[in-house]
Amino acid sequence: MIVIRLGWRNLWRNSSRSLITIAGLAFAFGFLIFAMGFSRGFILQLLRNGTELMVGHIEVHDGEYLPDRVLYNTIGGHDGTDWHAMVGRIRQHPSVRHAAPRVYAFGLLSTGNRSSGGQLVGVLPEAEQGLNRLFTPDVVAALGTGHAIALGERLALDIGANVGDEVAVIAPAADGTQGNELFRLTAIVHTGLPALDRSLALLRLGDAQALLALEPERIHEIAIGVGDPMDAAALAPDIARLSRAPAGAVFQGWRELLPQLSNYVDFARAINAFIIGLVVLFSSMGVLNTMAMATLERVREFGMLNAIGMKPRLIVASVLSESLCLVGLGLSGGLAFGTLMMAYLTTHGLNLAWLTGELPMFESRLDPVVKGVWDWNTIPWAAVSLTVATLFAAYWPSRRATRIDPVEALQAPVMP
Amino acid sequence: MGIAVLALGVGRLQAMQKAPLSPDDAKRIIDHVDRLMRGDSSRATVEMLVSTPQWKRSTRMTIWSEKTENVLIRIEAPKKDAGTATLRVGHNMWNYLPKIDRVVRVPASMMMVSWMGSHFTNDDLVKETRIIRDYNIETAFQGARDGTDVYEFTATAKADAAVVWGRIVYEVRQADTLPVWARFYAEDGTLKATATFSDYATMDGRVVPTRLRMTPQDKPGEFTEMHYLSLAFNVAIPPNMFALNSLRGS
Repeated sequence: MIVIRLGWRNLWRNSSRSLITIAGLAFAFGFLIFAMGFSRGFILQLLRNGTELMVGHIEVHDGEYLPDRVLYNTIGGHDGTDWHAMVGRIRQHPSVRHAAPRVYAFGLLSTGNRSSGGQLVGVLPEAEQGLNRLFTPDVVAALGTGHAIALGERLALDIGANVGDEVAVIAPAADGTQGNELFRLTAIVHTGLPALDRSLALLRLGDAQALLALEPERIHEIAIGVGDPMDAAALAPDIARLSRAPAGAVFQGWRELLPQLSNYVDFARAINAFIIGLVVLFSSMGVLNTMAMATLERVREFGMLNAIGMKPRLIVASVLSESLCLVGLGLSGGLAFGTLMMAYLTTHGLNLAWLTGELPMFESRLDPVVKGVWDWNTIPWAAVSLTVATLFAAYWPSRRATRIDPVEALQAPVMP
Repeated sequence: MGIAVLALGVGRLQAMQKAPLSPDDAKRIIDHVDRLMRGDSSRATVEMLVSTPQWKRSTRMTIWSEKTENVLIRIEAPKKDAGTATLRVGHNMWNYLPKIDRVVRVPASMMMVSWMGSHFTNDDLVKETRIIRDYNIETAFQGARDGTDVYEFTATAKADAAVVWGRIVYEVRQADTLPVWARFYAEDGTLKATATFSDYATMDGRVVPTRLRMTPQDKPGEFTEMHYLSLAFNVAIPPNMFALNSLRGS
């Protein structure tokens, strides 16, 4: 305890220098909290926009279905499966929030003399709510009746379709015929992903199956939403066991389905670690400077302590305790500074509209406003790293203090 | 090409069966193969059989064509598809679907999509490739194969030609310059599809292969076979046959 008191008292012997170092540490730690919070918000936004539009956190397909999305490769093979029961079992998993069946096909959409190719997706609109952000209550209601269709905004523009118009849909069906049917455009959706906005056509699952001559048991996908998307890969085998899926069905997490996004998330984490490393390095250099100066100033004092027989480990401990007080105050100030910045970042976010607008990237999109998210996984590590680096930085001056020759020290000039 | 011109051409070709072919003769034979099923105009009744691991379908259709630009195909059977029609005028293409009574324009982005579930694409119907114009022709083989004297020609796409295939290899019978098979290669040299010709018969005074089977290389066991039930050349085309109104039929 005496060592701590000694460190605390020594800290204020040159209060200006200590305050500058504490301010530097506080700024560094506060900046880290802000940077990590912004980065986590940025990554989570990309992740959510990537996995909460058309790609789920986990998806179930027939093993042969991806990447070509061949119409015939339905879950359970050509006979299909009792997907109602399978979806019910998947929903029983405690980590599963949503599960929805889907049918996909490529088709031609046309109004009058304007037509365009599109990705047809047959869905149960009610099951998509919460899983897929496109399914707002309005869109769910719009797709509530048979022969209703919702189009991506660019696709609707390309074929000159407005809400209420009739849209002809033609698609190669599973029996070799050309499936063709008329639908009523009841909603236009905006995904923010140009490829989707140009091609997406949502219709009811039953309508899609009828158009494509697929029996009611045949679906291409079950999309699953879980509590924490970062757990998706670990949860997939568990959910697969519980679902009693038919032979050949595969469960894949978003990291497999969206490799670019997955790589970016890993890259962003590596960048975060690099930034933490840099900030810690520069901060510890500041502490090293402070502690080196502090010991240099007190050569006579350490010489005296050595002369009266103070144990070297106590001298080391007194210097380290001084740096510990320094870093403790720095981290406290940083936490307060970071909390202030995070209060703004989590409430209002940073509006990057002037810089980027809505930006498609890595199979996802970045909204104009990025809100911060407290990164409690990284902040403790940053604090521990700063503390350890500071102690390391102070250790060298403290060891030097134990080796000061009392005779030489007492002859040294008195520092102002 | 008129029948008289064809007869003259065949006579000349018989004379040169033994001698090595000159580049001009090779071009002439390939042009003959390329124009074999075409006239200034034609009308054909064709049965198209499409076979995939999932299903097998037979469709009967009537095809009217005029030069290389205009084509109208109307499906007559089975009943479910009867009345479905495809019209191609130049580079434009439309489908008529009687179930929904709509004419739908096929956009450029859908040109590489399968036509009527077959192994032909929409693009196969609209392209106006002329082999001797778009490809350089070389004689790769001249001699007997399986007891028949044949020529093998390699057609390599010219650098500036807007064509799908990088290379096409033909085997042609020496006796009557009728095709035996054609192999279609992508630009990277990969074999993509093989067309096999058979059931040679005289139709409207012209000997033609009445059965053409197209086999995609990447889909084992699948094929599309076109069987010509009748074929008439230089027929009188009714007025407005290649207009949008005619898609709905009478």
